[in-house]
Amino acid sequence: MNNHWMRRQRGLGYVFIGPSMIGVLLFFLIPAAYSLGLVFTDYKFMNPKVGFVGLDNITRMLHDKLFYLSLKNTVLFLVAVPLSIALGFVVAVILNQRIYLKKLLRALYFMPYITSGVAVAFVWMLLFQPKQGPINGFLRGIGIEHPPGWLSTTASSMFAIDIIWIWFLMGYNMIIYLAALQEVSPELLEAAKIDGARAGQLLRKIIWPLVSPTTFLLLVTGMIMTIKTFGIIQATTQGGPGNSTTILSLYVYQNAFRYYDMGYAATISWALFIIILIITVIQWIGQKRWVHY
Amino acid sequence: MELQKRLLAGTPGRLMVTLIMLALAIVMVMPFLWMISTSLKTPTEVFKYPIEWIPAHPTWEHHLKVWTGPKSFGTYYLNSLKIALIGMAGATFLSAFAAYGFARIEFKGRNALFMLYLSMMMIPPQVLFVPKFIMFEWAGIYNTHLALILPGLFTIFGVFMLRQFFLSIPHEISESAFIDGAGHFRIFFRLILPLAKPALATLAIIDFSWQWNDYENALVFLIDERLYTIPLGLQNFILENTVDYNGMMAAASAGIIPMIVVFAIGQRYIIQGLTNSAVKG
Repeated sequence: MNNHWMRRQRGLGYVFIGPSMIGVLLFFLIPAAYSLGLVFTDYKFMNPKVGFVGLDNITRMLHDKLFYLSLKNTVLFLVAVPLSIALGFVVAVILNQRIYLKKLLRALYFMPYITSGVAVAFVWMLLFQPKQGPINGFLRGIGIEHPPGWLSTTASSMFAIDIIWIWFLMGYNMIIYLAALQEVSPELLEAAKIDGARAGQLLRKIIWPLVSPTTFLLLVTGMIMTIKTFGIIQATTQGGPGNSTTILSLYVYQNAFRYYDMGYAATISWALFIIILIITVIQWIGQKRWVHY
Repeated sequence: MELQKRLLAGTPGRLMVTLIMLALAIVMVMPFLWMISTSLKTPTEVFKYPIEWIPAHPTWEHHLKVWTGPKSFGTYYLNSLKIALIGMAGATFLSAFAAYGFARIEFKGRNALFMLYLSMMMIPPQVLFVPKFIMFEWAGIYNTHLALILPGLFTIFGVFMLRQFFLSIPHEISESAFIDGAGHFRIFFRLILPLAKPALATLAIIDFSWQWNDYENALVFLIDERLYTIPLGLQNFILENTVDYNGMMAAASAGIIPMIVVFAIGQRYIIQGLTNSAVKG
């Protein structure tokens, strides 16, 4: 009897994960399969005629200048990730020292990450206003006569987006580093101090290698998250000026819901998936090879 | 004696570092301060330089404009609250339910299913937008709140995070309940859920903030202005009032201040949850 009871109880596993699995099926797996199918069609919204076009969408993508431009912009966007990690590390190391107001400081640095959404993108839009905005007002105040046009020129727009993104991500990286630093044993640091290691050496040769798993994790998750996002760009520049901030994820959105060219949009979205897949594979290999445990 | 000397010697240094870090932290939150300050100013004061952080002639007129009139933020607020609250409650419960299955019941194919589950995190939302749009249109839920609420009930991150937590609960607890004749349902509701309250709170807060800030899904799935959530309402406001900078910042405040309050209250939970899932994941 006991055996039977146990077996029945095991079967309950499917009941527990069931509802969630239905969700995964309906909102992830089926749409993903559907999307893969769309790659081979010329499906356009409101157009009843759908034709099978074979690899046409893929060929088109590989010859699409805007696709390559948005790929390049995506890379420029990704630059924000390592920079925000470096800043997060520095702030975490300092906050980990014996200083006052630790909790308040931690909360203030972390605030952009949790409160941010489009709302804050609109605030940045005004802060970056080239002629009268407070940032350029400040720059002129300290003697820079021709401050950058930030979001309004093709040369600086991606750079301005990166600043917003670094500001947004930094606090998260700091929080994760702070947790990782708690795991660095104080005895080890004491021993190093007795050996006469200077602060710089301590940081470079002991702390940095010890938190390398965290750095790696932040790099990978940060990049994946950055690749998936387009909200702040849609809200601030809509990809402009002159497509200078059109990143891949936004390009998918534009093709799908501005031009209703949905087969082509699906094709680009899978290019996005391949990039994420590559990063994930690098993570698998990298975790074994490059991370010091 | 020695200790006292060290403490005294350390204090000016500690104070210095604290002050520098505080100054930088204020730079970090400056966009928020500027937003609030601008929302209370008169139009001519917006871009005055040097910045007047405390407005000389504070006015509530812009906040009133945002909250009253034909396109009041009240509607957007209720819409956002409805979607975020239902999504949060549903996602937290369903995640806990699935996480229990993955963490504490050994059934056939469990690990394979969990891997499948995790692999869904690799699919960018952009892959899903078009098919979801077509499917929702077909099912008649496109341009309704259900288009946001239903997918919002399922969070892979949530299942992952709670599974980590459930794995850390000692197995003896459920074993002794088993011997007393309790089944998985009773163990889940009576034992595990009460123990997991902090983890559930963490997920609930994080999920709420995601749903509240969600702009991309709302952009794709809602057209009707009456259905708009805060981010869309905000965008609309800005498109229609391109030169009303004070109004824009009053509108942005309406979206951001609730999150600052949620953050202030739930800070501990949020930080704990994010670090647990990252460091131990």
